Amino acid sequence: MSAVRTERYVEESRRGIADPVLRRALSGLQERFGRGTAEAYRRLPEGPGLRQTAHAIREKAIANLDLLLERLAARIRANGGEVFFAATGEEAVSYCAGIARRRGVKLAVKGKSMVTEEIGLNSVLAAQGVEVVETDLGEYIIQLAGESPSHIIAPAIHKTRNEVADLFARKLGIPYTTDPPRLTQAARRALREKFLAADMGISGVNLACAETGHISTVSNEGNIRMATTLPPVHVAFMGLERIVARLDEYEIILRLLCRGASVQDIGTYVSLIGGPRRPGESDGPEEFHLVVVDNGRSRLLADPRFREMLCCIRCAACLNVCPVYGRIGGHAYGFAYSGPVGAVVTPLLTGVQRGRDLCRGETLCGACKDACSMDIDLPRMLLELRAILAAGDATWGVKPEGGLERNVWRIWAGLVSHPGLYERLLRAGAVLQGLLPRGVAGWIRRLPPPLSGWTQSRDFPPLAKAPFRSRWARRRREVGRG
Amino acid sequence: MADERKERFFLDSLRRALGPPPQASRPMEDLFPRKPSAEDQRLLGAVSGRSEREREELLRRLRAAAAPLHLQIEAVVDLAAARATVLRLVAEKSPEWGGEKQLVAWSHKLIESLDLAEPLARQGIPLWMTAPIDPGLAPEAAAEERARQRARIAASFIGITTADFCLAETATVVLRSRPGEPRSVALLPSIHIALVRRGQILADLKELFALLRWDERYRGAGVSNCLSLISGPSKTADIEATMVHGAHGPREMFLLILPD
Repeated sequence: MSAVRTERYVEESRRGIADPVLRRALSGLQERFGRGTAEAYRRLPEGPGLRQTAHAIREKAIANLDLLLERLAARIRANGGEVFFAATGEEAVSYCAGIARRRGVKLAVKGKSMVTEEIGLNSVLAAQGVEVVETDLGEYIIQLAGESPSHIIAPAIHKTRNEVADLFARKLGIPYTTDPPRLTQAARRALREKFLAADMGISGVNLACAETGHISTVSNEGNIRMATTLPPVHVAFMGLERIVARLDEYEIILRLLCRGASVQDIGTYVSLIGGPRRPGESDGPEEFHLVVVDNGRSRLLADPRFREMLCCIRCAACLNVCPVYGRIGGHAYGFAYSGPVGAVVTPLLTGVQRGRDLCRGETLCGACKDACSMDIDLPRMLLELRAILAAGDATWGVKPEGGLERNVWRIWAGLVSHPGLYERLLRAGAVLQGLLPRGVAGWIRRLPPPLSGWTQSRDFPPLAKAPFRSRWARRRREVGRG
Repeated sequence: MADERKERFFLDSLRRALGPPPQASRPMEDLFPRKPSAEDQRLLGAVSGRSEREREELLRRLRAAAAPLHLQIEAVVDLAAARATVLRLVAEKSPEWGGEKQLVAWSHKLIESLDLAEPLARQGIPLWMTAPIDPGLAPEAAAEERARQRARIAASFIGITTADFCLAETATVVLRSRPGEPRSVALLPSIHIALVRRGQILADLKELFALLRWDERYRGAGVSNCLSLISGPSKTADIEATMVHGAHGPREMFLLILPD
């Protein structure tokens, strides 16, 4: 498993908010993609309702995962490929490391894959002496800079062209230029050498099709097609949920994936891969391995509250509309997955307790559900997580939250069921609050501890001079006299 | 075997997580149908019964979809016109990585009928034709032959392929892998030229998949072991969202459409 830093959400969020470059980049991204995606859904020949159809297709696939994965594996094996089922990230990584050892792999080229970020593949391969090169331009920039991706689809969104210019001048030894075409050309040249020399190609899987027995990858750059065509070995990693039953269903999900991810009708390169090259073919890998990764996903499957999350295809459309992600950026989420999808999936995969701030940081505005290409109810699951944190939950190893909030509610419940006492306290409070500092329109600027957290960034309405019940009674008397 | 035990364990834990299935919710015929649905039938009918007017309309939609993708479409009247277009591109363009001009092309009847070898030879420009690897070759010899073909493909600035189909709605060229038609010819050269006949133009992915699933002519190979859908030249917008063509794959792509 790669490093989890979800405990540092608040601290990292502050850092993100304070970074003007990041803010500008993210608002530009959201401006372009956020609106574009909604428009792209409206322009679908079937209309935006296709998202609900897709949701149903994904739910059916998830409900029959065992059958679908068996069929996929049988087909790929019949085609000469290998399929490995990994219960944990460690198993997945060590399977790949084993292939690398057996084949004496020195250089591996990699297409962008979130699940390999999740399981921390690169560091393990590097530790056994394999040079692992990320080949998606954004990922390549991030790797050269020694950072981690901040967006699922646009991993280097937080880097300016000046930073890339510095980086490339330093690491690739090219003359300093801030011109994106020339920078891209420099990476193209450097990576072409890597593709041609690589002993292994590694990719993720956007979506598999059980009926035909294929995985598929989507890219605009062509890097994944390079990484899966030129090296003698191709190892593909997929989360166990990334599958549909039939090719016609695959078609619907693919179209929505491309729209959600980058407002395209289709990605430039879509490859459906069902095995190694056949006899007589001069290129394509001689070995093809598919690694199906559980790594905590079957726990989501077992919990009816969170099973819906397995419908997600990681298109990242939710990131492009989320007001919270748009301010704090992807690094704050402390793991491979950021934005609303990260706020739900990261705690479920890496620990609800330690990731407790992620679901609380989101606003529940619902923009993510509207943008979701699979129409997943993310706000509902954010609320479920908050409920688990408040009430405790044995399956997710969460103890009920300590004292204050619960005690406040318990006292409140006691008070409102004793009207006499309640009213006396309100009157006392109305007098005592005169001691507190006031702000605009007489609102209370600071509450005393332990309630001071509430007024850290907002004012609190004061108690009315006379309680409603007594005002109501007086008013009725006045009306009666009139 | 340990892996098999692992696999059983993996799938069993999925089944436990799924819980006991209500019998009706696992209809195998719905998951993996053995007969085309009404919708599949409609799609197959649309392809087979396409009128000349409808084909004209598909070509128009293909052009409209191709333009924003920088996929350049040339409808040519005959083989001679197609040859002239290729030769014009050879003359106009220069190799991205320096060196001599070289071309590589699939050994395919349609490409061979362009008779490119002779006019190119007169200009001293090599045209490499790819070939299937002879299954009778010893492994070392086969590996050598593969390396030789790859070196030629990587050294060529133009790669010429045909396509199985072409999709109008998304301006997509469909390539199914087969011996003698290396995938990298549409990938390593800086310029990719694809040749198709007008009759190979389908409306969209739905029609393509209906054919691959149910049409007897294509069902056997089906999707094949690698099906590539290519919609225009390679591109990236990873540096400050500026669109640049030629990230890793071809910088330019041309689709020549021949009459049937």
